[in-house]
Amino acid sequence: MSNTNRRDFLKFGAALPLAMNSLNLSAAGNRATPPRRIMFICNSLGFYAPHIFPKTQGDLTTSDYLREMETLEKLTLFENFYHPGMETSNHDSEKSFLTGVTKPESPTFVNSISLDQVLAKQIGGETRFPFLNFSIYDRGWGCSWNDRGMAIPTLHDEEQIFNMLFGEEDLKAKQEQLARDQHVLTCLERDITRLRQSGAEAGKLNQYQHVIDELESQLQHQSYWLHTKKPQVANSLSTDSEFEFSTKVHNLFELAKLALRTDSTRVITLSLDWIYGAINVPGATGGWHTLSHHSGRAETIAKLSRIEIDILSHFNQFLSDLDQISEGNGTLLDHTTVVMGSNFGDASNHTCDNLPTIVAGGGYRHATHAKLGSKTPLCNLYLELLHQYNIDAGAFGSSERDMQLLKA
Amino acid sequence: MLFCSYRFMCLRMRCFALLIATVAAVVWSDLSCRGQEAKQLISDYCFDCHDTATQEGGFDLESLLQKVTFDGSLVFENLITGKMPPRDADQPTAPQRQAVLNWLANRQKESPPAAHRRISRHEFVHSGNDLLGIRLDLAESIPEDRGTHDFDSDRRILLTKEMLGAYFDAADEMLDFALPVDGYSVERTWTTGKIKDSHETYNIYTRAYEEGLLFSWTRANNGNSYSFFYDGFEPPEAGWYELTFDAAKIGEFPEDVSLQVYTGKYFYADDRPQPQRLIGVISLANTKVESHSMRAFLRPGENVSVHCYSKHTWRQKEGDQGAYIKQLKVRGPLIEQWPPMVFKQVFSELAINAPKRETRPTNDSRTTLERIGGRLTVSSFQQGMGKEKMQDGSNRTFWHTRYTPTLAEPPHYVILENPAGEAILGFTYATWSGGNGNGLVKSYSVFASDDGKNWGLEPIAQGELETRLANEQLIRFPKSTTKRFLKFLVTDAVALDGKSLASIGKLDVIAAPPAKSERLQITVATPTDDALQQVIRRFAERAFVSTLSDDDLAPYYQLSRQTLSETGDFVAAAKVGMKAVICSPRFLYSPGIHDNIAQEAGAACARAIWLSVPDPSQFPDDRLTARSVREEIGRMLHDDRSRRMVRSLCNQWLNLRSFDKVAPSLKLYPKYDDLLNHYLPLETEAYLQHLIHENLPVSYLIDSDFSILNQRLAQHYGIDGVLGQQMRKVRLDARSQRGGLLTMGSVLKVTTDGFDTSPILRGAWVSANIAGNTLSPPPEDVKAIEPDSAHATSLREQIEEHKNSPTCYACHKSIDPYGFALESFDATGQWRAHYRVEQPHPGTFQYRREGYYAVADAVDSSGEIDESEFENVLGLKQILLSHHRRVAYNFAKKFFEYANGYQPTLKQRLDLFEMIPETAQNCRMRDLITEVLVYSFAGDLE
Repeated sequence: MSNTNRRDFLKFGAALPLAMNSLNLSAAGNRATPPRRIMFICNSLGFYAPHIFPKTQGDLTTSDYLREMETLEKLTLFENFYHPGMETSNHDSEKSFLTGVTKPESPTFVNSISLDQVLAKQIGGETRFPFLNFSIYDRGWGCSWNDRGMAIPTLHDEEQIFNMLFGEEDLKAKQEQLARDQHVLTCLERDITRLRQSGAEAGKLNQYQHVIDELESQLQHQSYWLHTKKPQVANSLSTDSEFEFSTKVHNLFELAKLALRTDSTRVITLSLDWIYGAINVPGATGGWHTLSHHSGRAETIAKLSRIEIDILSHFNQFLSDLDQISEGNGTLLDHTTVVMGSNFGDASNHTCDNLPTIVAGGGYRHATHAKLGSKTPLCNLYLELLHQYNIDAGAFGSSERDMQLLKA
Repeated sequence: MLFCSYRFMCLRMRCFALLIATVAAVVWSDLSCRGQEAKQLISDYCFDCHDTATQEGGFDLESLLQKVTFDGSLVFENLITGKMPPRDADQPTAPQRQAVLNWLANRQKESPPAAHRRISRHEFVHSGNDLLGIRLDLAESIPEDRGTHDFDSDRRILLTKEMLGAYFDAADEMLDFALPVDGYSVERTWTTGKIKDSHETYNIYTRAYEEGLLFSWTRANNGNSYSFFYDGFEPPEAGWYELTFDAAKIGEFPEDVSLQVYTGKYFYADDRPQPQRLIGVISLANTKVESHSMRAFLRPGENVSVHCYSKHTWRQKEGDQGAYIKQLKVRGPLIEQWPPMVFKQVFSELAINAPKRETRPTNDSRTTLERIGGRLTVSSFQQGMGKEKMQDGSNRTFWHTRYTPTLAEPPHYVILENPAGEAILGFTYATWSGGNGNGLVKSYSVFASDDGKNWGLEPIAQGELETRLANEQLIRFPKSTTKRFLKFLVTDAVALDGKSLASIGKLDVIAAPPAKSERLQITVATPTDDALQQVIRRFAERAFVSTLSDDDLAPYYQLSRQTLSETGDFVAAAKVGMKAVICSPRFLYSPGIHDNIAQEAGAACARAIWLSVPDPSQFPDDRLTARSVREEIGRMLHDDRSRRMVRSLCNQWLNLRSFDKVAPSLKLYPKYDDLLNHYLPLETEAYLQHLIHENLPVSYLIDSDFSILNQRLAQHYGIDGVLGQQMRKVRLDARSQRGGLLTMGSVLKVTTDGFDTSPILRGAWVSANIAGNTLSPPPEDVKAIEPDSAHATSLREQIEEHKNSPTCYACHKSIDPYGFALESFDATGQWRAHYRVEQPHPGTFQYRREGYYAVADAVDSSGEIDESEFENVLGLKQILLSHHRRVAYNFAKKFFEYANGYQPTLKQRLDLFEMIPETAQNCRMRDLITEVLVYSFAGDLE
């Protein structure tokens, strides 16, 4: 990152008209034992490895990209993670980011439940939104996959998300609708029973039954939360349209922060997905995908790093914002595990080994660059995270064992 | 009795076997003995190149054949399409080829597709609309669940909680639109000739002309189409409106002037442009004023705006050419027929009480303060800048405190009187948008009083205002007030020269909206249980495409009856039952549960062709023959609703759903604009529709002597003499490179990133969607490494590196060449001889008509495919046309996948290939579609 210095990094980070007023500097409730949250971010085209990995092993201040991070002492960069059986792939590899299921590019690929959803089942029930899954674009899928391996549609419209989280509702109308929908569900249950008796195809009915059972619990969850007023939060979303991509990334992080601070959810995923089109970030304009296939050309890499720096500057802002919100004996960041990673180790040649993986916050002992001795299943880390969140899982995806990488 | 669709599938499979047995009786009869023979044939004809020793193209067929799990589809495809053995090698006889194909098809282990699929969001919305007799496009508000699958119908996609939840919501919205809870509004009309304020920079491109305005404008300095917003009309509720522009073309040139009509939230030009929807284009050919009407769905909060486009009216200050609009007339919300269609379709045999629906003009252009009978007083005013300027609807005129002959001392304030004691919720405020900024209000306090004298000590509201924002700013009081006097006190204002001044562009009160305008309630005359059951039955039978016994109907009817007995509201009771019907597994899965094969075939065909349910009159009974199915399919294809199928094919097969994801660089392609962006995909849709409608040969997909164009598209393609924006059939010059899908701008654009073209992406598009190449998956043990191209200078050289790696080249030889042929077209689909390279520019303005680029290397569009060389795209088309069966076979496979939600098995592909006539002339689009549908949904009928 010879052409980028600290000043640029901070300047780009601060380029958006973003007041700190949305911080409010204290998390919701401020209870004695703060709840633990978790967030996963997938940067779909990875990071240019020579810029993100430190020049000197173990020393994060020799990472071009990370040395300026304000919360450097609260993050760990892992080297040498991969998903076994997936050394190379195409862009479908993003589907496996939180599942570890191999051959996502195959026509017969069936995904499995993603890590965030396993966590949401365990810790999501206590908040208004069991989980939130964000993406930049409307592509129909992101990081989160349900227990049958189907993509959970993402949230991508910032104003809509804000409104969903904090907007006022017509409570009476909502109550009536929920009551009516309960009746509709009862009716549908009756018809399913009847269809079963008359010998209709069971596969279809089982599938449908599963979905309406889920919908029914969702309605109950919603009815319960209808009695609690939504938190009041000032709308701090940026409307800057000069750098639309930056604004979007910034806003999604901002929404994540607001949702975590108000304890509206405890599980978030964010897919930093891409389109073929050109994007405009401070210092560069170009097709992110086109640039990611840089084939080692310096000029292309310089442009590509502008995009990656832009993303990381928003990430930096997000982490330091969380770290300024005090909660319990520490900060919101100490009670939120933030995993920033990618499905690609090197998007230029579509290889999926050495996946760049940052774990930040969560109250672990950090400030390290942890280069693992040999290629290690990323699912080992995922399994450890499940254990950290008191989920007694024997295995997750391709995990071999809990390696105790995150020490308290 | 229930007809189980799975049994139908099994039955159909048996019939395939019978069919094939007749076609290739000799081969089929003793298939089991033929494995050895087939292997011998493969050895005879393939091993010269593909044995373990040679492995041409990295393909070792000899070892693969020894594996039980060997996937034979690549060999099958290359053999059936005649790609292999290569032209110059020994060819098997037709029966030999068939024998190997049969053997391959028979031994292939294919996991059976799921027995059903969930219907897509588009099918849900179209069906709901058709059932209720409305047009409400909600598909965009329902999440996309297609993932990375090509077709919406893919059976691997399962219904999710999120989708069902979205359908629950969409069902409510559709039912409330068809049967509004508080009744229907009367129809209103508006007439306006006034546009809202715009920045001076922009305003010079409109001027008063005769009785209206002349718009002369092309695009803003940042490349956007800057729009002018009409004042005097806001849609009071979501619905369809008819917009009539009385307008004329002004200018002495042959081309039409285009009026682009958008809708969106009003923005003042110093704001960054807000997203707007293009709702229509009006093509002005005549220099005398005529009425041009269009219909659009508008929602409250949206304003109508216009933008004039003509290649002749390029940003002329006080321009004398462009579009003259005398006035805009609006009518709506429109209800196609009264009583609304839903009463005919769903409540048809019931007597109803419906009041007459009248049309009433809206003449209320008053401000809210005027409407509530209020008035203003001010602390002081400068001559000519009086208080009335705050109420004239413009922030280019303004109230200003007195500065000459003497300077008015603070406090500066405005008092708004509320004589009727209406509930006031707040103020709307806008700055004066001109001047040097002196006097703009920075902060304020609001005080309330009963008598206009005693204002109390505490303001009821206070806050700060933006000084650089010309848009209206809302000042909401913490709680509403009915006090008779409200004082807007300026507590701080811009004072450039140290003097205390204040100025305001617009100020008005926010009051509760006028009492809800009269609503028309339609009631059912005899709201009995029987009538309710009749309504639910009619609706459910059409939605499920089945006859229902009382027991079948019971859950839905009971739900409605329960609501009726609880609320006494017949329509509300019917609505909840209808909601359950369209959220039912009987509705959300295809194939559904039907009573007989006629219903099943009818439902399946309507899903494929209309993305909806059949009409009640279709497939009335089970007397069904393959011939009558063909006739019904013909009728359905003829119906306007078949456009939904064509649009789906464009979006899913040709991937035009990604068309709008990328905006071309205006530095490289400065002529690209909204109008072109609007029409490019329409060309493809209209062309495909035409091929199907006219039953033209499949070869027209590749090349054609016509396309469906209009003035803007013809300009883009460099074709003269096409006037007006109506799409019509245009003959192409015999030497034209255009014609067929490959050279359409939509297709050429969808595969680029807006800057550069990518021969790989374009090549892959042609290879997969048109040529139908089956590519072997990358070998498992090989890293998919990018060719080392750091030293390669041109893009072409970079890509040619694929040749140096047999692993890469095995597939890329069937991808890259198509892309090379299309290199003669830039990222917007215009023909080019040279590449363009973006140039930096020092200016403030980001847009200029000439763009910012330098002309670079010449384009080389030559290549070699299927062992034939070509010089350019014309040569490529000839090569593709010489194998019409490949193109037709590929289309048949794609259409089969579209209609059925899975890729045909090898056995089914044998049948599909059989459907394709030997001669290109006989191989026609509508025939092929019809045969694939009959084969898919009524295969066992005679």
